[in-house]
Amino acid sequence: MSVGKQEIPASARLARWLLERAVRHWPEETRPWGLALAAEIDETASAFETVSWSLGGILLFARSVLSGAWAWMKLPAGGSLPGASGPQGPSLLPKRSRVFTVAILATAALLLFLPVGREAIRTVRASWQGFQESASDQRTLEELAARAEKEKDVGTLAFVALSTTDPKRAAALTERAVSLDPELIWVYGARNHRPTFDPPGEEWLARLKAADPGNAVPDLLMASALADPHVGMLYAHGKPKDADFEVLEADSKWKLLMERAYGAPGYDSYFQKHYQLTRSVWNRERNLPPTLIFSGLLSHAIPDLLNLMSFAEFKMYQARKARAAGDLQRAESLIGEVDVFALRMADGSGTKIEKLIALAISKSANKGLADLFASSARPQDARRVALRLGEIERSVQGMRPRSDPGGRSGGEQAFRREAMLLQGFGILAVFAGLAALASILLLEMWRRRMRNALCWMADYAPATLLVAIGAFLMSFLPFQHAFAEYRASSYMLLNDERIMGAMWGLMEIPEYVMGVNARVSIWAFVTIALAALLVFVLVRSIHRTRRAASNPA
Amino acid sequence: MGLRIRLSRQTLAVLDALLSRPGQWLHGYSLSQSTGIPSGTLYPILMRLEKLHWLETRWEEARTPGRPPRHLYRLAGTAREWAREEIRAAQERRFWKSSENEA
Repeated sequence: MSVGKQEIPASARLARWLLERAVRHWPEETRPWGLALAAEIDETASAFETVSWSLGGILLFARSVLSGAWAWMKLPAGGSLPGASGPQGPSLLPKRSRVFTVAILATAALLLFLPVGREAIRTVRASWQGFQESASDQRTLEELAARAEKEKDVGTLAFVALSTTDPKRAAALTERAVSLDPELIWVYGARNHRPTFDPPGEEWLARLKAADPGNAVPDLLMASALADPHVGMLYAHGKPKDADFEVLEADSKWKLLMERAYGAPGYDSYFQKHYQLTRSVWNRERNLPPTLIFSGLLSHAIPDLLNLMSFAEFKMYQARKARAAGDLQRAESLIGEVDVFALRMADGSGTKIEKLIALAISKSANKGLADLFASSARPQDARRVALRLGEIERSVQGMRPRSDPGGRSGGEQAFRREAMLLQGFGILAVFAGLAALASILLLEMWRRRMRNALCWMADYAPATLLVAIGAFLMSFLPFQHAFAEYRASSYMLLNDERIMGAMWGLMEIPEYVMGVNARVSIWAFVTIALAALLVFVLVRSIHRTRRAASNPA
Repeated sequence: MGLRIRLSRQTLAVLDALLSRPGQWLHGYSLSQSTGIPSGTLYPILMRLEKLHWLETRWEEARTPGRPPRHLYRLAGTAREWAREEIRAAQERRFWKSSENEA
């Protein structure tokens, strides 16, 4: 009743072929059953029966493979090597089964795939790169720009223009964003790091000045580009000398720009706008690495502060000259201009450093006024200026972090401790992960070498990895909270400082490890490790000698 | 056989087929034919019964050259009484009905 091979249709032939293949690869333990099933196929009475019988065989094969795999998983790593349970008894194996180890490793991996895990990895990885943009960050920015271009999302285009490190790309994107939305013309100022860095700088600043005529910043940025040689010379020998100011006096273009800036009714370096733009993009693109979020803000162009100081000093020099010539009114007016500008700058500044410089300029101007009033017998004005100096001092003190012996604020200290925990657990997790993988692989491949150490590692490294990842994620929570706060808040200087404190804290360990002390640390570590190994070998040999002496048989 | 285990309807059918010709060696294909159980279900049952030592197996010599030897099965002597008991209990519980009874 059997079906002859010649009569067999293609489907049945294929089914028989598949069954033959399955029998060839059948797991050893149930192989006789595979052979038994396959031997019956010649008895089948029809093509349908042949196909059905073969399919049953293939199912049995799949079941045998799965059950073999499960049995393999239930053994400890290295348990299926030939000789693992030889005539001399089983060789040393880890206590935990493969399935237990895999479950722990999978749980650890799952934790890292959670949103908080991914954010933690992104942040810590960025801290090890010194929050410097990598090639992958640049690719992310390009993808973001392409999408923004497609969707005509001018905000994101401007964000990429402000964040990319490629000046040509930044210039093109800035032009594109401003052409689509003229309100974004402030990007010309925020992205302007002197004409040598950004070729269209001068032209951009002229356009920005035209669009925002009451703002001192475009003129200050333009003057900053001209100021480099003067400023260098002015502070080359410490306190500037009168001869240095005479050189400055000859630079009419710089003087004109600075006079215009000092006389402008407003001061806005656009940091607030930049902050709001970054915040809105980060709220939309939660997966952006922190490097991209902060690199743009950190590279936001502000007027050259030394240049600002040098012009203030120059005005004070002019006032001294007027006073020497007996023109006290002009001297007072010149110093007053400096103070008014400084107050305007302190009010409009978006960054702490700008505010501090503005206060320093104001303090210098008020000291000049105090000196002038004291020498011209105007005690009432002198008292007013003294009060003003006290106010400035209090403002400066208020802006200084509530200092501790290390010169850090309480928040920064807390972030520093949390960052150390985060980095410490991160490093532990990496080492535990590597130790787990290496020990399992080596146990699967080697039968005899270093079994003791490998078994110990295979037993404890996965659990250590899981605990370290859990602790790593817990330590990341304050940073995640700071980021969320940053995304949610409207601009506050304190908030900006908080996030920067978090970032500096994170960078501390990577800087130490990768920095100049790294070689010393590595040598210290190697020396300690070798010394520990030597002690271990000595103790072990003494122990063995004693045991051999007490048990001569 | 004091041991009681849960038997499926298919296992009871296989036991019934084996008991219908006690002591006689049967092929897998003929068991499949008589019980209507496909190969993918039949062989796991046979494997399980063999593991419990209730099934005896042996390889038949190849009758036709070029054909592989076939596997033969029969219930172990000690398992026959137990199998009858299980089938009777299943029938009483109306859990399973023999095809012979149906006929």
